Amino acid sequence: MATTATISLSSSDLLSYPISISKTMTMYKDNTTSTDFTQMNYHRLELPTDNYGGGTPTNLDLIPESDALKDTANYVYICNASTSDSQYVTISINDEVIGSLYGGDFAIFPWACDLSHATNDSTIEAQAFGATQTVEYALFHVGETLATANDTP
Amino acid sequence: MATTTATLTVSSDIASSALSLSKTKILKKAGTDTDFAYTTGLVRLTTATGSNTILLNSAEATANYGAASGGSNLITKGKVYITNLNARGDGSKFVTILLADVEIGRLYGGDFMFIPWDGGGGNDLEFTANDTTSTTIEYCVFYE
Repeated sequence: MATTATISLSSSDLLSYPISISKTMTMYKDNTTSTDFTQMNYHRLELPTDNYGGGTPTNLDLIPESDALKDTANYVYICNASTSDSQYVTISINDEVIGSLYGGDFAIFPWACDLSHATNDSTIEAQAFGATQTVEYALFHVGETLATANDTP
Repeated sequence: MATTTATLTVSSDIASSALSLSKTKILKKAGTDTDFAYTTGLVRLTTATGSNTILLNSAEATANYGAASGGSNLITKGKVYITNLNARGDGSKFVTILLADVEIGRLYGGDFMFIPWDGGGGNDLEFTANDTTSTTIEYCVFYE
């Protein structure tokens, strides 16, 4: 069981010599030599610009932090599945905006889910600008803790 | 016009149906159909300190690529590729990547990341090596 990612970055004319970067990684659990991830989430959703009818542009929790994820190796893939060059989604952690994903843009990064600071300091957040946009994300993670159900069947 | 293309493929057999995704994007300036015009090129550095270190100082007085340090191009928005070239070993030679004082995640030996970066004052990308013997990372920024 394995999860791999390969990135290629290339340009023939950005510099006076061609750029060709290629890297493949196998994603493993933290502090292990080669223990593969066994859990993942894959989501596709629409991010509104009006807080779901509330009328106010709002930064939304995309991937909530949790004790089960903290201080570990989790990997996040996020893609803005929209097509507009002018509409975008910001991706942030705590009060720091990492960057903006325009239509077709993607990101892949490790997420340690650092809970050492204030509450909600490591949740990955997203905000849509310009129009409702479709976002896909995958989280390869070490575990999650489900909430105890309120109902007893 | 220079064209820079990024392609990412992710495959996994975690689930009962195989996951196989592939995305390709020509990198553009923010909000436009105009290609990036600048890059740092591929940069390799080795550190033997476990201290928090600024990797990319976007728009402050000491900016690596800013006017204050003799350059002409402030990095405002771009795409950043970073990889930890250490061998994975037992998993202890990771590099913690931070945005200002907020930890994003840990790059273990052989791992990479590719993110959009909005830059701006104080929005530095920083790293801390967990292993103080020797850590080698490479990065490349494509920016406006």
